[in-house]
Amino acid sequence: MRARHNRSMDIGRVSGPALVVEAPAIRRVPPPPGTVTRRKQSWRTRLRRDKSLLIMTMPAVILVLVFSYLPMFGVATAFQYYDPVKGFFHSQWLGLENFRHLFADPLFWQALENTLAISAVQLILFFPIPIALAILLNSILSRRLRSAIQSIVYLPHFFSWVLVISIFQQVLGGGGLVNTFLRRHDMSTWNIMTDPHTFKLLVTAQAVWKEAGWSIIIFLAALAAIDTALYEAAAADGAGRWRRMWHITLPGLRGVIILLLVLRLGSALTVGFEQMFIQRDAVGHDAADVLDTYSYFYGIKTGDYSFGAAAGLFKSVVSLVLLYGANKVAHLFGQDGLYRKS
Amino acid sequence: MTGANGAVSQPGFLSYPANPIATYNGVPGAGGTYTAVTPLWGSIPPANNAYYQAMNKALGATLKMSPADGNTYDQAVTAMIAGGKLPDWVQLPSWWNATFKTAELVGTQLADLTPYLGGDNIKQYPNLAAIPSNVWKVGSYNGKIYGLPSFFSGQAFSGTIYYRGDVFDSKGIKPSDITSIDALLALGKELTDAKGGVWAFEILWTYLTQPFGIPDKFSADGSGKLTHKYDLPQFTDALNWAYNLAKSGYVNPDAMASNDNKAKDRFWAGKSLVTGDGTGAWNGSDADSGIAANPGYRREAFVPFAADGKSTPTISLEGATSEISYLNAKLSADQIKECLRIADYLAAPYGSAEYTLINYGISGTDYTMGSGGPQYTDQGKKESQPQTYPFLCTSAQVVSNPGHDQVTKDICAWSAQAVKYAYKPVFFEVNLTVPSQLATADGAQPVEDTIKDVIRGRKKVSDFTDAVKGWKARGGNDVIKWYQDYADKNGTGQ
Repeated sequence: MRARHNRSMDIGRVSGPALVVEAPAIRRVPPPPGTVTRRKQSWRTRLRRDKSLLIMTMPAVILVLVFSYLPMFGVATAFQYYDPVKGFFHSQWLGLENFRHLFADPLFWQALENTLAISAVQLILFFPIPIALAILLNSILSRRLRSAIQSIVYLPHFFSWVLVISIFQQVLGGGGLVNTFLRRHDMSTWNIMTDPHTFKLLVTAQAVWKEAGWSIIIFLAALAAIDTALYEAAAADGAGRWRRMWHITLPGLRGVIILLLVLRLGSALTVGFEQMFIQRDAVGHDAADVLDTYSYFYGIKTGDYSFGAAAGLFKSVVSLVLLYGANKVAHLFGQDGLYRKS
Repeated sequence: MTGANGAVSQPGFLSYPANPIATYNGVPGAGGTYTAVTPLWGSIPPANNAYYQAMNKALGATLKMSPADGNTYDQAVTAMIAGGKLPDWVQLPSWWNATFKTAELVGTQLADLTPYLGGDNIKQYPNLAAIPSNVWKVGSYNGKIYGLPSFFSGQAFSGTIYYRGDVFDSKGIKPSDITSIDALLALGKELTDAKGGVWAFEILWTYLTQPFGIPDKFSADGSGKLTHKYDLPQFTDALNWAYNLAKSGYVNPDAMASNDNKAKDRFWAGKSLVTGDGTGAWNGSDADSGIAANPGYRREAFVPFAADGKSTPTISLEGATSEISYLNAKLSADQIKECLRIADYLAAPYGSAEYTLINYGISGTDYTMGSGGPQYTDQGKKESQPQTYPFLCTSAQVVSNPGHDQVTKDICAWSAQAVKYAYKPVFFEVNLTVPSQLATADGAQPVEDTIKDVIRGRKKVSDFTDAVKGWKARGGNDVIKWYQDYADKNGTGQ
């Protein structure tokens, strides 16, 4: 495995002082040239060495500890019948009853199916778009034009979903711009905002409009890291535009693409809450319910906090498994994925 | 006007005393400081404004008002309850009793007021003594008084079906002709002009309960047997009508996409001409908004009619009020007495100097006395017009819209007619809270979601029937049995 550890592909790895250990008495076969051997230093030495880095990460670590790890005790509510008046310690213990109830509910399976379907549609239709946009934008020569386009395109990221859906409603909705025009010209209206069958495509379209611009930032950064000499050499060898893209650009982006793919698979069950919540009445709960809205409407809203917690816990556990699995797959492809134990 | 079953229409006033008389002797407070949280459907006034300061001076105590957005009020208060951190004085509207689990809070986090208000003790608070006993019942649990009522009246109707009176006049439609649900649907063709962007109806479901005679939850027959509303034939009739309405093309398409928060805007702009709304929607500020869009704007309401056009119409009485405020159990006896004196001050009658200060603010700064009554200034619209103190306690509701005499006259005329058809529904004025295990089934969210689909034409009425069967199997029957047991023991409160 060590042989595959190609040093030139390491991004951002902090390398400590290289120590080549040679015990004086025992003759060892010297390691092949080019590899670096390190003895594991004592943790005290490492602490001293990395002290300033650790202090810099402290605020974020404390934040995560207090707001993410500490509240994890609340996971207990998924196994209780939680009553806010009685609190955590006096609520009735139910064991797996909530989960049994969850899996017996056909609406839960509907919500799960919707979640996975929307996730799949977004993976196929949403994921390639920022990549294509970034490559296109990168090919613009004028710096000023490029910055202008980039700013305009990533602006919708900062809008709230309420605003985005209101805009969609004003343009595409039943009483909106497009349909008023169609009606005036005696054509039949296009009820995209209230059609449950095309809801998954609508949701993806809204997500693309809102988020694609923001997502190109990472890809632009990765594209900038590709050596332009490679392009020149390829052009000199007679490679056309498409061959250059296939052999240089895309492999250069491979690390970032796979990282983002792993992250996206890990959050496959989180397709959004606000977006579905706002449009739930317009298309009906059969089409719009995802795990998060299910947990809200059938759990928290009716005061059945434990049931909502059970749905949320199921989602977290499955997401964890997906994330771990996707990371392993990334390692198989030789990429670092989300994390790799060194 | 006194109507049937104890319903009394609210008194209406077309003029306001030019020099409001002070009715409260002295100052109620004793220098204490209290935190208060109330809901507000409107823009929140700035903190520490001149109106608050004037109020605190008049009260002789410091009330730290923290009005919270009414649309998310239930979530904000639930968080406080879970943390045991309710303020000293909190408004808990009764329609959220199940969410707040108010029946469990009284006595634990909320103070028992019976020792201070029971029997002759109430005579210490003359304005509170003037509040009728049936109103106190809404804030009472297990025979003990916990809550202080606001906005009470003898004609508590949840809402009704409104229409644009000015548009009907211009088209020559006589509202008295609308005496059946079919007549209402027929209006759709006359009023809708899709190309011109005008549609006849909003989604009318909530207030169809009146023409079809659908109760809040249960109806009882002579022997005391309860039938859940989902099982009533008129419920299915109403669903059928709503489904046909949705398919008819006479409903505003934005309403179909459930932009309910914009329903009022569409009514004011004349994009929808018939809408259902709560009784709180019919007042002077509504007229202001409508007139801004169309000078001829006039909101009117249909006199209660029966769906088939033949039976006697009925309209259900709600509890005398739904706004009750409670005091924190952690307050000492002296503090509770001080708060009750403050409540007494807040319950000063209509037209008094105290009422004017509470509802209109400081003379000259927040309002100017016009010919029809107080008119808010711009500062007043920000500080004193949004209702803050009234959510703690008020005197009886009256109809008064200075500057909009026509609105007051229309409301009083409608109320006088409506009270004739009032009836007391099952569990009228009974404070019932279902045990938490049954609360989810009681809410019947899956059935309600299916109903939403049916009234928008996405699903058929047969889907609703299936949903009810599923609901009954998964807790619905237990809920019905619990209510029946209660009714067998304690009667239906009618």
